[in-house]
Amino acid sequence: MNKACPDSEPPASSEYPPKLAAIVSLFEGLPEDEKRETLISYADQAARCAPASGETFDLEDVRKVEECTDTVGIFLKVGSSRQVHFRVSLGPQVQILTKAMTSILCRGLDSSTIEQVLEVPADFVPRIVGGQLVRVRSQTVYYVLTRIKSACRAFLNRERAAAG
Amino acid sequence: MNQNAYANPDVLVSTDWVAHHGSDPGIRVIESNEDVLLYDTGHIPGAVHIDWHTDLNDPLVRDYVSPEAFARLCSRHGITPETTCVFYGDKANWWACYALWVFRLFGHTNVKIMNGGRDKWIAEGRELTRQKPSCPPSQYPVAPRRLDDEIRAFADEALAQSKAGKPLIDVRSPGEYKGVITHMPEYPQEGVLRGGHIPGAKSVPWKTAVNEDGTFKSPGELAKIYSENCGLLKDQEIIAYCRIGERSSHTWFVLTYLLGYPSVRNYDGSWTEWGNRVRMPIDRSD
Repeated sequence: MNKACPDSEPPASSEYPPKLAAIVSLFEGLPEDEKRETLISYADQAARCAPASGETFDLEDVRKVEECTDTVGIFLKVGSSRQVHFRVSLGPQVQILTKAMTSILCRGLDSSTIEQVLEVPADFVPRIVGGQLVRVRSQTVYYVLTRIKSACRAFLNRERAAAG
Repeated sequence: MNQNAYANPDVLVSTDWVAHHGSDPGIRVIESNEDVLLYDTGHIPGAVHIDWHTDLNDPLVRDYVSPEAFARLCSRHGITPETTCVFYGDKANWWACYALWVFRLFGHTNVKIMNGGRDKWIAEGRELTRQKPSCPPSQYPVAPRRLDDEIRAFADEALAQSKAGKPLIDVRSPGEYKGVITHMPEYPQEGVLRGGHIPGAKSVPWKTAVNEDGTFKSPGELAKIYSENCGLLKDQEIIAYCRIGERSSHTWFVLTYLLGYPSVRNYDGSWTEWGNRVRMPIDRSD
């Protein structure tokens, strides 16, 4: 996994899946006010990231952990070329920033491979959100990526178990 | 203690009052939340936003902003020393009480809380807007000093309080108090190496003071909690703490304004300081 060194240039956007790289690039070009408005816009669309009625998935992981205010569900579908599609369900208590990140990740990681998803570094978060919005009480902005990766690992483990 | 009325009943205003008077001259409604983008998704018409982190905290040192910075903040929001600031927010007004306490730290005394906070306003189906108000800048004098001595406690003072057997109120969850967990329930770890509580502190979780809808309990109920059950006396010096000072601001507000205890201080360094500091005494008993 690539990690940004504090004293070096930020990682190139090519280190992210292309759709995510485009979103990062968009946000990095925005002034602070527009960044907030764009985050709100993404948050407003988070409900569309939830599973549709009748939709089926290769893996579903719905739970509420001790360190989170509400239930988050990760739904993973793996295509024939091992490209992944995610749906995410969020409980009503989830913070706006987390909703925005959900929407961003569902779009940004769509059609990536499982391996690409697992290699996505978390350093894109401050590049999107900016320094002012990431603080002690908004660490859950990283949580959705953690859960998405966890779902991918669980899928791979299940695959290996089935093959073995 | 008068069990029929709050000590300062005017400090609490209803959602209805804000709906009718929020835009009156001399009134400034202020939203302060934990959810950093919540205000932007919709707020009470005319309300300005004060971000507890970027507006009230020093960006470098763990402390509050300088008197100069506070004056600039107020000026930007069209607040004068005569302005009545009505605070509200999420989490049953945690951060609204925190912001109110910081305003008091700089000597701004015209303060109120909208009872029930943001959730009550929304539950009542009242109007929200995304439009941000435009406030003409005002003149706000720079306070000569912060009132740290009067309403704020530091680690050495909390330690002295503990050693002297004076009242310390731990407003965190029971699990945090006992040291079973080192983070707030349903929150990520905020980085403390040791769990437990300050020796001699009594556990009175902040939530004890509010109803399900986030409004404050009645005078009689609050008196039972703090004066009867906890044994707090009016002539005592009291210190309240939590993890970073926001829940204890809520309790500070209850004790100071609703119950009228004259000498209450908020130890804002709280457990993230105490639990990381070398050789501070810790208790894990019930």
